[in-house]
Amino acid sequence: MFTALLASRRATPCIHRQTRLYAAVSASSPINPHTVGPYRIFDRHAKRRQKDRSALREAGVRSRTVDYVRDEVADRMIERLLDIKRKFSSILDVGSGPGHFSKLLESQTTDKVVMLDSSEHLLCRDPDSDFEVEVERIHADEESLLNVIPPNSQEAIVSCLSLHWINDLPGILVQIKEALQPDGVFLGALFGGDTLFELRTSLQLAEMEREGGISPHISPMADSRDVSNLLGRAGFTLLTVDVDEVKVAYPSMWELMEDLRDMGESNAVIGRRNYIHRDTLAAASAIYKELHENEDGSIPATFQVIYVIGWKPSPKQPKPLERGTAEMNLKEIL
Amino acid sequence: MQPQTSPIVTPLRRLALHSTSTCSAQASAYGKCILSTYTDVKKDACKEEFAKFGACLREAMKRKW
Repeated sequence: MFTALLASRRATPCIHRQTRLYAAVSASSPINPHTVGPYRIFDRHAKRRQKDRSALREAGVRSRTVDYVRDEVADRMIERLLDIKRKFSSILDVGSGPGHFSKLLESQTTDKVVMLDSSEHLLCRDPDSDFEVEVERIHADEESLLNVIPPNSQEAIVSCLSLHWINDLPGILVQIKEALQPDGVFLGALFGGDTLFELRTSLQLAEMEREGGISPHISPMADSRDVSNLLGRAGFTLLTVDVDEVKVAYPSMWELMEDLRDMGESNAVIGRRNYIHRDTLAAASAIYKELHENEDGSIPATFQVIYVIGWKPSPKQPKPLERGTAEMNLKEIL
Repeated sequence: MQPQTSPIVTPLRRLALHSTSTCSAQASAYGKCILSTYTDVKKDACKEEFAKFGACLREAMKRKW
């Protein structure tokens, strides 16, 4: 069993090839919204194709243009990693994309980074020379992490804005904990429930007024209060959870939607409508502007980011002392 | 944002342009109508305002839908 697991883990070589993709009805995505099991919210197959396409659009130019949100969050995440006074021999970046976070790693922190993503084209978008440390790429589905990563093998696992397309969020956190060595650390950033609330509400109002009903256009996302419970339930200790916002201004809703598409963040909810009527789109654009417009005429888009740090339990870890065992009264210090 | 060297004019881009600049007055009127009723929006709550906005868009796009 264990050898089989190891054998299935292969580094993905990046071969840059030019292929013309034709639109085709795919046979490998037979997701019927009426027969899905629990924790099936997102169409993973559609998401992988969206990401592949985003990396290939205009030979990657568009994809690089819209790196700003992930680069900003990766930058804030690296500060949290630097607070951990430890030198790693290897870090696993789950859902790395082209390596927004991995590119910022320095040789004082780690010797090597392993990037894992389900989109091969996004994974291979940027050359190794962009990274300071040694890179290994694994093309695999993040949802079945333990199929490629042996249990108890990783010193540190990071995830920068990739967990919001995972169907089974509690399950992936358990898998991450299993993949970690005892006293290993998980550092993650995921989108919170307030992300893109302006776009969500504008589309809802427009659909309601124009068509008389609403349909899912923006994914459900984890609430900051749920995340610490989920981490605790997955078996992490010494949790740190904090919430931050990245606000970006756009000329109008159209540029926001175009950039989201180029980020590979188009809608992939199972049972989504594949189109929005142009009247509804125009109405949403008008509503967005009227409801949320900035003073300078641009429109804001909020990305709420939840940062989490959790540790796999180990007997060597420091633990909180028993209540009432303190030797000094806190009142005397304060 | 990098300046687009050769902007590809797709129908969606044209709709974007017309809905934000050519018909911005009608769009604003429609938005204000929604803003005044957004706690209780019903279908066709701002039908008149949208009819003007839609007519302007169809005129600008030079097509019907």
